[in-house]
Amino acid sequence: MNTGTTATRAAEAPEPLEVDRVTVRFAGLTALDDVSFTVAPGSVHAVIGPNGAGKSTCFNVLSGLHRPASGTVRYGRQRLTGLAPHRIAALGIARTFQNIVTTEGTVGDNLMLGRHALTRAGFVSSALHLPHAVREQRAHLARAREIAELVGLERHFDAPVAMLSYGDRKRVEMARALCLEPRVLLLDEPVAGMNTAERAEAVEVIRTVRAQLPLSIVLVEHDMGLVMRLADEVTVLDFGRRIAHGTPDEVRRDPEVLRAYLGTGAGGTGPATPGPGTPGPATPGKEAA
Amino acid sequence: MSDAAKHLPRLTAAVVPLLVLCALPFYLESYWLRIGLFSMAAAIGAIGLSLLSGTAGQLSMGHAFFLAVGAYGYVWFSGDPGPGLPPVVAMVLAVLLAGAAGGLFSPVAGRVKGMYLGIATLALVFIGHHLMLTLDGVTGGFNGRSVEPMEIGGLVLDSGRDDLVVLGVPFGAEERLWYFGLVLLAFTWFTARGLLRGRPGRALAALRDSETAASVMGVPVARHRSSAFVVSSMYAGLAGVLIALSFRRVVPDHFGLVLSIDYLAMIVIGGLGSVGGAVAGAFFVTALPLVMAKYADQLPLVAAPGSPDGSLGPTEASRYLYGAAIVVILLWAPDGLHGLARRLRSRLRSRLRREPPAPPHGPGPAEPVTPAPTTTAPSVPVKEHTP
Repeated sequence: MNTGTTATRAAEAPEPLEVDRVTVRFAGLTALDDVSFTVAPGSVHAVIGPNGAGKSTCFNVLSGLHRPASGTVRYGRQRLTGLAPHRIAALGIARTFQNIVTTEGTVGDNLMLGRHALTRAGFVSSALHLPHAVREQRAHLARAREIAELVGLERHFDAPVAMLSYGDRKRVEMARALCLEPRVLLLDEPVAGMNTAERAEAVEVIRTVRAQLPLSIVLVEHDMGLVMRLADEVTVLDFGRRIAHGTPDEVRRDPEVLRAYLGTGAGGTGPATPGPGTPGPATPGKEAA
Repeated sequence: MSDAAKHLPRLTAAVVPLLVLCALPFYLESYWLRIGLFSMAAAIGAIGLSLLSGTAGQLSMGHAFFLAVGAYGYVWFSGDPGPGLPPVVAMVLAVLLAGAAGGLFSPVAGRVKGMYLGIATLALVFIGHHLMLTLDGVTGGFNGRSVEPMEIGGLVLDSGRDDLVVLGVPFGAEERLWYFGLVLLAFTWFTARGLLRGRPGRALAALRDSETAASVMGVPVARHRSSAFVVSSMYAGLAGVLIALSFRRVVPDHFGLVLSIDYLAMIVIGGLGSVGGAVAGAFFVTALPLVMAKYADQLPLVAAPGSPDGSLGPTEASRYLYGAAIVVILLWAPDGLHGLARRLRSRLRSRLRREPPAPPHGPGPAEPVTPAPTTTAPSVPVKEHTP
């Protein structure tokens, strides 16, 4: 019954997401400087870097919130730069936010919001409770429940979001993004502020999503342990520039990366703080040492 | 058992107040019916404003303007200087006209948000007032115009021409309009619920809570903001038509800034973003001053109208009381009557759960609360003051 809309997009395999020489400037500050990378279809691509490296700016360019001064972003053949955020969403590119942004209401309401781009009911048909609007709502609610189950939120489906724990609210964000049936999922610090148990659960959820849905994931994260375990490829930014790129193992050994995280002349000793707010178990410094 | 049992209380909560409302014209004098009519008109307008300000988070001070467009639109479309169309057609056109007026403002309404829109819409009230005074041919200028009565299928919703008696009760203008008002209010309720619980309502709430998140979820920001404004204007237009019909005369001074502020008071008192709350708030703001004015002379320390200066007249006394009531509500229930009803209901429910043996009659003190879920709240003030 819900297969109609979901199948159409799910059947399409994700296409490569290409970031090509993107530069973003804010009043004299260059937040991104000539950054390029390509997210291979179906892969998990991590973008890491110290605070202020331009990771969030990068995400904002991908989702259309910032327009780059130069450079392009392409999804397959479709150019994303210059498109309004809601058009990019309609192409199947969903994102979550670093600080949780949910809407008042139940978990179900939030997930149904995620299906906005996939549904049609307008003001008139909703106001008059026209049959097709009612049917559409029912079908998509069923799919939203499936997605809630996928991320482990089924018990809370009818609960107000405000009553949930921090970890569960993070999950709501991810489920809402998944409700778009995305082909590219942008996760902005999915485990920030979580305790160890919550982190482990979040990693499990990301693994499940990846195994069950045909999508590419772009991940911004401070937690190096998580990045090393999940990512197929890693791009490292520092002060808006790409300083390294490769598999997690390659990046971990890259001297430029060590310097960016630990400062110049660091030998991998001492109290390494790879970035504020990072109580992650494994830092690149420690692992490389 | 589960389905029928689950729906039964909800069904009763919807049907019982409706039956009570339908029966009221057989028991109430026309004074009370008129208060009810004003309240119904206000409720329709308040639902529209609640959709815009409560759900979409867009402040509008221009609601009085759209009420005026609806009222004057109806008068002109159905009246003598004007095409003199059948009243029902005139009503539909008046609502569409209000929507079109909202649409004309939508380049502003789609781009300007929150508080700033409130200031921008202030201009509408003044422009509207100026137009009402100067466009004599359409609006009748300062003295306004009298309103053609509504006519449906040959039945004129006015007293005089025919003597309609139903079950021994003479049906004058108020009795007939009462049912018409009920139908309009029910229609408004039905459509607004559909909007709020459907895709547009979710998108508007998302816009209110975070524009960025909403746009990333696929909600076109400007288009939804303007749509909310247009829909809210159309409800205001419908309310304007009912206001015109129940006052039987429209004058420019009614549609001033104070009216806009009254509507904001309604949705804040009722509870932002809820249909039932908007209706309850509308009854509170519209009916309470009138009811208090009626009984103010029976209060202690209140002088008869026309007493020498310095004594407290009934009008002033009712205003003080009304003001105090607003303060009390906002202190005790900052989320409005809607939030108050919800809390009472959940408290009642948890108490019932704790004492399962006696669910039908429940604990004594909670008894009077039972008929006061949001849906029935509007009928309460009317019932209480039956003479």
